[in-house]
Amino acid sequence: MTTFDANGITLERVREHVWEIPQEGDMRAPARVLASEALLEEIKEDKSLEQIKNTTHLPGITNHAICMPDTHQGYGFPVGGVGALDAEDGCISPGAVGYDINCGVRMMRTNLTYDELQGREEELVDSLFANIPSGLGGGGIVEPGIDAVDEILARGVDWALENGHAVEEDLLHCEDEGMREGAAPEKVSQKAKDRGKNQIGSLGSGNHFLEVQRVTDVFDSGVGEAYGLEEDQIVVLIHCGSRGLGHQTCNDYLRKIEQQHKGLLDQLPDKELAAAPAGSQLAEDYYGAMNAAINFAWVNRQLIMHRTRQVFERVFDRSWESMDMHLLYDVAHNIAKKETHTVNADGDERELYVHRKGATRAFPAGHPEVPKAYRDVGQPVIIPGSMGAGSYVLRGGENSMDLTFGSTAHGAGRLMSRTQAKNEYWGGDVQQDLEDQQAIYVKAQSGATIAEEAPGVYKDVDEVVRVSDELGIGDKVARTFPVCNIKG
Amino acid sequence: MGFELRDHTADVAVAATGHSLEAVFAAVADGLAAASCDEIPAETGDRFSLSVTAESREALLFDYLDELIYLRDTRAELPVDHRVDSIAGPASGDRSGADDRPAEWYLEASARGVPLDAVDAREVKAVTYSEMRLERVGEDEAGGWEAYVVFDV
Repeated sequence: MTTFDANGITLERVREHVWEIPQEGDMRAPARVLASEALLEEIKEDKSLEQIKNTTHLPGITNHAICMPDTHQGYGFPVGGVGALDAEDGCISPGAVGYDINCGVRMMRTNLTYDELQGREEELVDSLFANIPSGLGGGGIVEPGIDAVDEILARGVDWALENGHAVEEDLLHCEDEGMREGAAPEKVSQKAKDRGKNQIGSLGSGNHFLEVQRVTDVFDSGVGEAYGLEEDQIVVLIHCGSRGLGHQTCNDYLRKIEQQHKGLLDQLPDKELAAAPAGSQLAEDYYGAMNAAINFAWVNRQLIMHRTRQVFERVFDRSWESMDMHLLYDVAHNIAKKETHTVNADGDERELYVHRKGATRAFPAGHPEVPKAYRDVGQPVIIPGSMGAGSYVLRGGENSMDLTFGSTAHGAGRLMSRTQAKNEYWGGDVQQDLEDQQAIYVKAQSGATIAEEAPGVYKDVDEVVRVSDELGIGDKVARTFPVCNIKG
Repeated sequence: MGFELRDHTADVAVAATGHSLEAVFAAVADGLAAASCDEIPAETGDRFSLSVTAESREALLFDYLDELIYLRDTRAELPVDHRVDSIAGPASGDRSGADDRPAEWYLEASARGVPLDAVDAREVKAVTYSEMRLERVGEDEAGGWEAYVVFDV
């Protein structure tokens, strides 16, 4: 048997790109890592593997805890981790969803070509930066003083539609049509709502961004056509989440679990894995609060997208409808969802809390939960790369249900810490180099953010996508390359 | 005595030391401010007070840092120059009168709030329990406290 020694943790090769850490000690299931050897060499350098092993201690872990190809160290649960926990006798873990509930990406199409944009990059990046709130304390698109938080939490993008920030078609191209059932705004604390109310329609900072991109390659013309993508076309990618409201909700529930379910917590190797037992009041409360925060994040991305339409209208002096600026899809990559999966060769089905933290749902063609518009080809998966590299559009692959509970990667995955990045790079140089050498126009609130998000701090997104494609969990459809990028 | 920012792949960690529990709490909070902003202006902003209660020493540190992040977002100010005036625990008995004795851990602190539009600051999303350590080091009198906290960025 081929094995891979990762600094004391031995992985056994199951088949190409599939590695297993056998069950031992208090592990309740084996762990799996889906990666090439090149990616494993990077993954073994931080605590990702120890963290995925720890994750298997959670009650109700089904089949395996799984690392996606872009895995890196997180807190408690690794980023790039998928854990399916039994919804009847398992648990739900806020830390395995992540602080930024429904952090995710959406892509909007246009009918503009790169030729039409060239020469206006600076005007566009300046106008986007001036009109889309970003950074710390930058406010939101919704006017301060309008307290719409409870309605947003309950109704999601439907609220945006009623208030003129969306069109009907936007809802049809978003997971769950932009409204999560079972949202319980009353289970979101006042503190969380206070943090969220001034941030409705804002990017935040860190790795969040808005990017105008050009499609450089379409690998699958059939699916590309279904997604409305062709070479040289301009698209817009938006990456952000539920802002302070989601962060506060995660911590509120971590603390409640610590106080109410200490027995379970004491069995776990990392306090950040804190979980509420399935069926408990707290599990119900967290699930309702998380669903509400999911709605908040969808509205956040919707408002930013709709504002982007208005910016394009001004810069190109045409209506957004005439530029065909429609939502391609919106995917969450920090989320837990109750889903029914076949869990063994006998075809037994179980209801599971599928936790995807830094992982994207990737349901294949024909799955009933794929929106009608894409059911024949499979769900779009959007994988953002760094600001100097391409991003990808994939489609849910036919092996995803068997291998990963219908999931694939979410991005390139960090390689270098933020402190190290700031020592290696200077924001101004990175910005200038991107413009001079790659014609990428970047504008940020903070030079430090540009340094911390420099292309060199990320893993090779091409390799991550190659592994996803070869495993058949997310198939390559198209590749895009940045033109303008704004961030916090 | 003070803090250092440590490497952590996606996040930022603060390692802090202090001669007292109050000092180490304040040092971690100063680390949080430094992780948010490279150049903190020396004078700008007014001081404000806060108090926090929790059921254990570690939970008190967590809730203190969580409260600072909450206040940052709702006051639109970056809290800096932290002072922790007092920390009392259930067994410390150092608050006057039996009726006043805290049933749990209690902290009183203050900070200077620098308006966010006056600084080039980035968002630290949340405090985490991941790898958190809060430990007494050395002998009672000569010793002090060490803390290690990972923040989600």
